[in-house]
Amino acid sequence: MAKTPEQVVAEAADRTGRSPDSVLRLLQEVNREFGYVPHEAIRAVSRITGKSAAHVRGVATFYSFLSSKPRGRHIVRLCSTVSCEMKGSSEVLKALEKELGICAGNTTPDGRVTLETTSCLGLCDKSPAMLVNDVPYSGLTPETACEIVRGLR
Amino acid sequence: MKREVLLSPDQPELGSALRRAMEMEPADIAFEVREAKLLGRGGAGFPAGVKWVLAGGASGAKKYVICNADEGEPGTFKDRVLIERYADRLLEGMAIAGYAIGSDEGIIYLRAEYPYLVPVIEEARSRMLSGGLLGKNLFGGRFSFDVEVRMGSGAYVCGEETALLESLEGRRGEPRNKPPYPVNSGYRGCPTIINNVETFITVPHIILNGAEWFRGLGEDGDAGTKLFSISGDVERPGVYELAMGSTIGELLDLAGAVDIQAVQVGGASGRTIRGDQLDRKLSFRDLPPGGSVIVFNGSRNMLEVLRNFSDFFVHESCGQCTPCREGNRQLRLAVGKILEGEFCCRRCLDSFFELASVMKDTSKCGFGQTSANCFVDIVGGFLDLPEDCSRVHEQNPCHEGR
Ligand SMILES: Cc1cc2nc3c(=O)[nH]c(=O)nc-3n(C[C@H](O)[C@H](O)[C@H](O)COP(=O)(O)O)c2cc1C
Ligand code: SF4
Ligand code: FES
Repeated sequence: MAKTPEQVVAEAADRTGRSPDSVLRLLQEVNREFGYVPHEAIRAVSRITGKSAAHVRGVATFYSFLSSKPRGRHIVRLCSTVSCEMKGSSEVLKALEKELGICAGNTTPDGRVTLETTSCLGLCDKSPAMLVNDVPYSGLTPETACEIVRGLR
Repeated sequence: MKREVLLSPDQPELGSALRRAMEMEPADIAFEVREAKLLGRGGAGFPAGVKWVLAGGASGAKKYVICNADEGEPGTFKDRVLIERYADRLLEGMAIAGYAIGSDEGIIYLRAEYPYLVPVIEEARSRMLSGGLLGKNLFGGRFSFDVEVRMGSGAYVCGEETALLESLEGRRGEPRNKPPYPVNSGYRGCPTIINNVETFITVPHIILNGAEWFRGLGEDGDAGTKLFSISGDVERPGVYELAMGSTIGELLDLAGAVDIQAVQVGGASGRTIRGDQLDRKLSFRDLPPGGSVIVFNGSRNMLEVLRNFSDFFVHESCGQCTPCREGNRQLRLAVGKILEGEFCCRRCLDSFFELASVMKDTSKCGFGQTSANCFVDIVGGFLDLPEDCSRVHEQNPCHEGR
């Protein structure tokens, strides 16, 4: 059976500790497990660290890699900063939006892929670049980007 | 001038610098780094040795060595390349710092966008542990040191050192007031040094070759060499190592650039110069070289470039203080209006230049203090508008409310 947010938080707390210092790390673990930070997890982190739910939510909403909405099984982050834009990231974005049938910031209806744009990924020597989950891809063209995304199950 | 030390194919044996350092008195290492005039490679250019001397002298049983691997400045990727190639040298540099200030614990704060570097660092750490270069009682002495990797979660401002500390302590990455400075009260209130990846990787070379050698590497009174990430309209984008104080032109020759309209040095918050200023120097006294150099050829619309950077600043401001949070929004709106042709002359833009100077003077951290730079440079230097238009300004819509 799938773990509940409370279980994930409790197990993670055994590794990170239960002090207020652990709030972000607990949220990172929750986000990794569920792809987002569900409301129940906010309350669980609050209980376990002794910080208010408002504080925990404040942390969760600060960081762009933590999501408050459910997301797809795969997360595609395409860089939209200058060096990539100069090398055609807008065309890559258009192609990906067409391929997936969604606009950036959304998830395919089948829950397969979330498409986002992001700030510089530190791969500008090989622009345009994107991060698919934890894997970097660079030197993209609309075709190669779509091919990579098509391969995600 | 191209001059390779960090990227030299001829690398000293791993651990030899740590061994040499541990034959010295801890305070002497900090003095050596100070004498070398090694200025922090993360952008601000604070003398690393001064930081180390202060942290070494600060009272506290527990001290921390933190590596800033948050590299979020648009156009910067040198730290990624350094970690890919020299993660072990980074750990060695951190261990030397630990010995110098009396710390047994290092932390690498790695940006969320670099998850694939975690295994690279962990492998280097394992090698160092089994080689006796990290861990307990190094070289049979009393000094122990180990390093942990902690991840960011996608917030550019966390590269600011006190925001980084907030983030490590599990909170929103909002910069702190200074003082107190991290060297006295940093991570968990303990004396802490925070240095850039490149700064730490440079240290073993200084320990092995001496402060004087290092100072001699630079041009015109600048010390050492520096890595530059160059991207945009160049034939060979990548990381280049040059003597500090080299000119922009020398770097562009290496990377291959033609028809240069503009060069941005130091990232979005750095300075943007025109293509006829290539004799400007990459030096903390002229163009502070964070690491990023982006080249724009004649076909680029610099206002579109500015729009892209303005979006970045609006998105990444932590929102804690008004001049930065609201100022960046206003500048972004102004850029949109310039693009739509709503402003007829420079006089129309006066109030935005004033806003830019308010942001510089009154923002709480370096983010807000520098984020108007590209507006000032690009609108000031690249926009073709008459000084004052012939229209009667009182009747001009862009002067409403003045
Ligand atoms: C908004 C902002 C972002 C920063 N980002 C980074 C960064 O990504 N990496 C870095 O090393 N320093 C960054 N800095 C500079 C740090 O605050 C700090 O000066 C640096 O880590 C000190 O190390 P150094 O002296 O070795 O450069 C940033 C500063 C500001 C204001
Ligand atoms: S200047 Fe900007 S980033 Fe810095 S504290 Fe103020 S709002 Fe936050
Ligand atoms: S601008 Fe896209 S990776 Fe840097």
